[in-house]
Amino acid sequence: MTTLRIDGLTVTFANRPVLNELNLVVPAGAFAAVLGPSGCGKTTLLRAIAGFITPFSGTIRFGDQLVSVSSIVVPPERRKVGYVAQEGALFPHLTVAENIAFGITDNKIKSDLVTELLQLVGLSKFANRMPNELSGGQQTRVALARALAPAPKVMLLDEPFSALDAALRDELRAEVSELLKSRKTTTLMVTHDREEALVVADVVALMRDGQILQTGTPAEVYHNPISAEIAISTGDVLLLDCAKDEAGKISSVFTPTQLSPSALPGKLVIRPEEIKITAAATGLSAKVIDLDYYGHDAVVHLDAAGARVDVRIAGPVELKVGDLVGLEHVGPIRWFPN
Amino acid sequence: MPKSLSISAVAVILLASIPLGYLVIRATGSGIAVAAEVIGREKTVTTLMTTISLALLVAFFALVIGLSSAWLIQRTNLPFSSLFLVLGTLALAVPSYVSTYAWIALIPNFTGFAAAVLILTLTTAPYVLLAAIAALRRIDATQEESARALGLGPTQVAKRVIWPQSRPTLLAAVLLVLLYVLSDFGAVSLLRVDTFTRVVHTMYKATYDRSAAAVVAMVLVLLAAVLIYAEQRARGRAVAAKSGLGTIRTATKIDIGNKKYVAVAYLFVLSAASIGLPIYVLVTRFIAVSNDLDISKLVSAAAATVTAALAGALLAMLFAIPLGLLAARYKSKVSTIAESAILVTHALPGVVIGLALVALGSKLGFLYQTLPLLAFAYAVLFLAKAVGSVRTSFARVPRVFDDISHSLGNSNWQTIRKVTIPIAAPGVITGFLLVFLTAMKELPATLMLRPTGFDTLATEIWAATAISQYGKAAPYALLLVLIAALPTYLLSRPDRAQVDQSRENVGL
Repeated sequence: MTTLRIDGLTVTFANRPVLNELNLVVPAGAFAAVLGPSGCGKTTLLRAIAGFITPFSGTIRFGDQLVSVSSIVVPPERRKVGYVAQEGALFPHLTVAENIAFGITDNKIKSDLVTELLQLVGLSKFANRMPNELSGGQQTRVALARALAPAPKVMLLDEPFSALDAALRDELRAEVSELLKSRKTTTLMVTHDREEALVVADVVALMRDGQILQTGTPAEVYHNPISAEIAISTGDVLLLDCAKDEAGKISSVFTPTQLSPSALPGKLVIRPEEIKITAAATGLSAKVIDLDYYGHDAVVHLDAAGARVDVRIAGPVELKVGDLVGLEHVGPIRWFPN
Repeated sequence: MPKSLSISAVAVILLASIPLGYLVIRATGSGIAVAAEVIGREKTVTTLMTTISLALLVAFFALVIGLSSAWLIQRTNLPFSSLFLVLGTLALAVPSYVSTYAWIALIPNFTGFAAAVLILTLTTAPYVLLAAIAALRRIDATQEESARALGLGPTQVAKRVIWPQSRPTLLAAVLLVLLYVLSDFGAVSLLRVDTFTRVVHTMYKATYDRSAAAVVAMVLVLLAAVLIYAEQRARGRAVAAKSGLGTIRTATKIDIGNKKYVAVAYLFVLSAASIGLPIYVLVTRFIAVSNDLDISKLVSAAAATVTAALAGALLAMLFAIPLGLLAARYKSKVSTIAESAILVTHALPGVVIGLALVALGSKLGFLYQTLPLLAFAYAVLFLAKAVGSVRTSFARVPRVFDDISHSLGNSNWQTIRKVTIPIAAPGVITGFLLVFLTAMKELPATLMLRPTGFDTLATEIWAATAISQYGKAAPYALLLVLIAALPTYLLSRPDRAQVDQSRENVGL
């Protein structure tokens, strides 16, 4: 098991920093997801870890081994990384079995290992197929088996599920994360899909403009974001303008109070499931303006004294458009200054 | 690794520029005044006019015929459309001097400018046809449908959707036609039309005045270079034909109703003229002489043709691999210079390379009239074609495969050997076959450079036709067309995904 440790990593393209003094630790055997919008540098981070590009400064360590410092950059073929690209990128001229065997150098174990990996990804019957005869999900599985074959220290996944349709994606990513966790392979996946990051990863790292802003378990980054921006990137939020004074008192539509004149303007961050809908007489009064019904839950759009409020409720919905209800804030207070 | 590639590329460029370099030295060797006198001769000026007007007329008619047949074959409910495509492609297997021979054998006094326009149009129209079909196939039908939904009529769609995307391909095809006419030697010589190639060859044969011949040859090279430059300027940036994932959907065919009988008649006449007539003449003439056929001479000519073409094609690919790999994978100053240098070799007709290497060979006696020198001439002559196929094939291997191969423990060279080359191989082999095929049909450089007594199919046809022994030429011509038809047919099979790639390799 190998800890992945990145310190002060800077990568520049044409003198412009794409990664800017980035720090990240992925504990040995953990499955980490780097979540960020496109253009934030997450693929560059992956490519620097794999050794496809040479960083400007900073260090990358696989356990005790320094694979990248300013003067020594270990070439990718000697790093023992597994790399699964978007859409798999299987070698089109090789069969499934030959693709998986590609990185195995020990000829004695080759055929046994290929058989074992084919079984592991559930494609034993497809050993002699060519990549163009496989579905998208099957291709991703072969790409994963191929990357696992040389027993990599660190597995890198570059949005491996983005090309798949929704139902297949849910199933496959559960399979893949279970498989990697059972083999205790330290894994770093980059994605722009917040749900994907929260569902599969043990550790989520939030990335913006070439830096990691917050790292934590999915629950931590979802419930205790360190900024409103991060809260937005990890899930739906209701942002309420509200001020806070030195005494720690907060005035919002839910709790209107008198504040001292020196109160700081800021935002209150509330998740849609942290608001309870009650009878019209209690709490903040609001009117139902629209309903999005998802089956397992529903999102109710409300108008509360001119403010638009979205509330997620579980189970059967008895509300209809036009109903008058009361709203109550039941979650933690997350306040960030403007 | 790019370093060793760059070194080999520079070496190839230096080798390939020997003929042109030597030609420049010969042309200017007797002083600029002498060169200016040769250029100013009335004969040179009329030759220039003849060459330019022939090239432009042929390009115009080839474009009209090629575009109209491509549209009929690809976009209408024309009956037998795939047959017409195969026939159109097979016309490429008939070299211009063979179809000229066929027409002359059938129609006495078939000579002159108009005859040359007819023959060269029939020979070059397939290039436009293939380019236009490839361009039409590359455009996703959903683009056209979206344009129609946005309110554009068919003409507007052609102008604003199809033309911008097919322009680079069509311009390249027109350039190919123009260069074909400039460098054609067989047809114009048999039809007695004084274009540059014939004049250069006559000067070389009659007077052995090689400096004057070199000057006239330089004018020809400059003319070709101007055309290439103009095409590069006009081409602009290639436009991506496909956005998003998924496969390209082909357009639904337009119902042309009863006009399809006219269309079939039109394509039938074209096919009959370009391939039916030559085959008819070859076969009837062959039957007439089949009783006293010299089989051993035929076999030795075929063997000589294959030997020389194989050596030339192998050398061309050997030259092309560093250049093509560099151009496809490692953008640098060297690769830019390499691409320009290859473009220049495009401007060197067989007659010019023949002239330069004859002169050089007579200086270096050990090379004069040897097979290696002939192979070298082929390699330079078809370098652009070879590099084109190598470059396209390597450019098609996505870089992510390199990354994955590296992450699985392979070095640069191992990656090239295990991943890049296997994926690129089919394209490179297709390119090799094309060069091989083209070299077999090559006439002027072969005539000038072949070892004494080394008779190829092309030179035998030429020798017999030049003295009006049409029956004697028939077996050689028939064999040449049959050999050339096989790879041409393979390239035309419409059900193959590789067709478009192969066509790009033709130089389109």
